[in-house]
Amino acid sequence: MEVSLASLVQPASSLMVVGLNHHTTPVELREQLAFSDGALDASLPRLVDAETIREGAILSTCNRVEVVAHTPDLDTADEKIRAFLAEEQRVALPHFAPYLYTHTNQEAVSHLFRVASSLDSLVVGEPQILGQVKDAYNVSSTLGTLGTVLHRCFHKSFSVAKRVRTETSIAAKAVSVSSAAVDLACTIFDHLEDKTAMVIGVGEMGEQAVRHLRGRGIGTIMVTNRTFRRAVELARTCNGTVVPFDQLDKHLHLTDMVIGSASSPHYILYSGMVEEALEERKRSPMFLIDLGVPRNFDPRLNNLDNVFLYDIDDLEQVVEDNRGERQVEAVKAEAIVAEEVEKFWRWFVNQEVTPTIVALREQAEMIRSREVEKTLAGLAELSPQAKESIEALTRSLTNKFLHPPLAYLKQRHHNSAKREAEYTQESASPHVIRQIFGLDTPEE
Amino acid sequence: MEVWLLTLTLLLYLLSTVSFIVGLFSARPVVRTVAPGCLLAACVCHAGAIAVRSLTVGYFAVTDMYEALSFFACLTAAMGLLVQWRLPVSILGAIVSPIGFILTLGVYVFYTQAGALPPTLQSAWLPIHVTAAYLGYAVFVVAFSASLVYLVQEKQLKQKKASSFLRRLPSLETLDHLNYRSLAWGFLLLTLGLLSGAVWAGYAWEHFWIWEPRLILSVLTWVFYALLLHYRSAGWRGRRAATLTIACFAALVVSFVGVQFFPGRHGGQFG
Repeated sequence: MEVSLASLVQPASSLMVVGLNHHTTPVELREQLAFSDGALDASLPRLVDAETIREGAILSTCNRVEVVAHTPDLDTADEKIRAFLAEEQRVALPHFAPYLYTHTNQEAVSHLFRVASSLDSLVVGEPQILGQVKDAYNVSSTLGTLGTVLHRCFHKSFSVAKRVRTETSIAAKAVSVSSAAVDLACTIFDHLEDKTAMVIGVGEMGEQAVRHLRGRGIGTIMVTNRTFRRAVELARTCNGTVVPFDQLDKHLHLTDMVIGSASSPHYILYSGMVEEALEERKRSPMFLIDLGVPRNFDPRLNNLDNVFLYDIDDLEQVVEDNRGERQVEAVKAEAIVAEEVEKFWRWFVNQEVTPTIVALREQAEMIRSREVEKTLAGLAELSPQAKESIEALTRSLTNKFLHPPLAYLKQRHHNSAKREAEYTQESASPHVIRQIFGLDTPEE
Repeated sequence: MEVWLLTLTLLLYLLSTVSFIVGLFSARPVVRTVAPGCLLAACVCHAGAIAVRSLTVGYFAVTDMYEALSFFACLTAAMGLLVQWRLPVSILGAIVSPIGFILTLGVYVFYTQAGALPPTLQSAWLPIHVTAAYLGYAVFVVAFSASLVYLVQEKQLKQKKASSFLRRLPSLETLDHLNYRSLAWGFLLLTLGLLSGAVWAGYAWEHFWIWEPRLILSVLTWVFYALLLHYRSAGWRGRRAATLTIACFAALVVSFVGVQFFPGRHGGQFG
């Protein structure tokens, strides 16, 4: 029985992701295919219909355009989505078809989970993507293009992303020099709200570092530069105060962090100067970040107690190490994703299978009790024991008959972890069982 | 009952040690709630053991070597728990848990049957004197731990080794602040311990002070801490303060252990 059923059909419904991303597709093409927020509202309802695409959502960011769909027919849906993209964005299909990928079933779920967890991002672990996935979910949810399956799939992707975030340190590592510097500041200082940072010079690196510091809530920022006017400009953008360059040493003791990003042929900070400042600030620690090339600060400053000096090479090294650690963390994250895909898939298959099991049992019981009733009506003289035996006999018969299909359905549920290829070959859908047993045809 | 509780305590200290160490390397939030839970359970069990002993003997059980060690271990663990509950320094748990474990192992070695309280110790000053002094010692363990972690963290920062382990350690500022605060509290408690001891001696021996190694060493330790605290407030921060805190703690341990070898009138057999 299993063999004949197995050769019949595909699973009743499937999940799929069709799209393209930054890994393979040039930005010019991604731009053309990206949906603006407003455009999504108009386009998305055209994607979803009752037959081919039951549920659908579109994730469109500057790095990816992806359509997530729940469909009873993978091939037709794939074609439809491709045509949809071409039509909506007015780009000829052959133009972008080579870049498109199609993930189906577990792979589709896995892809969505990986995207939401920022494992598929350009900078692995960057936090924005989860927000973008949530936006995509909200838009399609408002437009009513989601059903039970995708609702749950998206919600799962959020919780997977959260698990990845809390259980691995994939997002905890800075991957730019300026954010690495700010991270280090947090291992020296408890909080930055009551700290003062001084920026010497108006180089771009320094400016970035200041922006990061502002983002982490630094208390005060002082800016100094040889050309006073440019210091004023920078101070205005970062809401800082300006210190005249020749009064730098007088303000040094007030600063907990000094960022050097000046282009200067010789050292701007040297031991004597910093030591005086340290005395004055009762040896409170100072964090010196030298982003200048050639270096702005005397490297021997690192030998002073309570002074921590990092130059651009040190920071590059930190960033490099972080990248390496991110790779290690990514392996852990992939394991979490795999585990959650498995859980979700079990649910997905189960929600298809359970109603069929229930319907099958109910139908059998209905037939059985009706037939028993008919028979017993004509055998009024039978003893209660004999009636009981007939009941038992019929129950046992239906159970024996139902056993193979029920076992088959349950097994299908348990084998859901199998690779998709094996899966479609070996199993038929609950849909087929429903047809064979006439579960969907109304009783005459 | 008492030994049974102590065995349970020992197991819980071990469990807490393991979970704190796992917590240092794992990012799973579960571990970070389990570890303090184990330590709390250990403290409660330990306090239970001490309470049972006290009820059995009918006085505050802190007089002989066994009792004193047990009391000190319990206070240290409780202090570590308290601090790491109030401040983001879960590393402290990873230090006080093994200390609690080792001290409790020592408790087994020195285990004595409950006996009657010697008449010289029958005084209301006993709990005050012992609690103040031992609480002070426990707080100094915290200061010592904070300094130890400070030195590790500082060295890593200076050598520019930004490992993920480094990030799990508290910031230098937090550690330095903890060092200062625990030094101040510890010193206050130690002073109270000495003063209450002197007053008690005044009643019991009719002298506030006798020249005896235990007392001299204790006062010497007190002077060390007083100097350290003085220089700290004058601006000795960071590495220097941490190194000196460790040195002072070493002095404390030496006097603590050293006095065991000198006979004297100072009551009890410990501290």
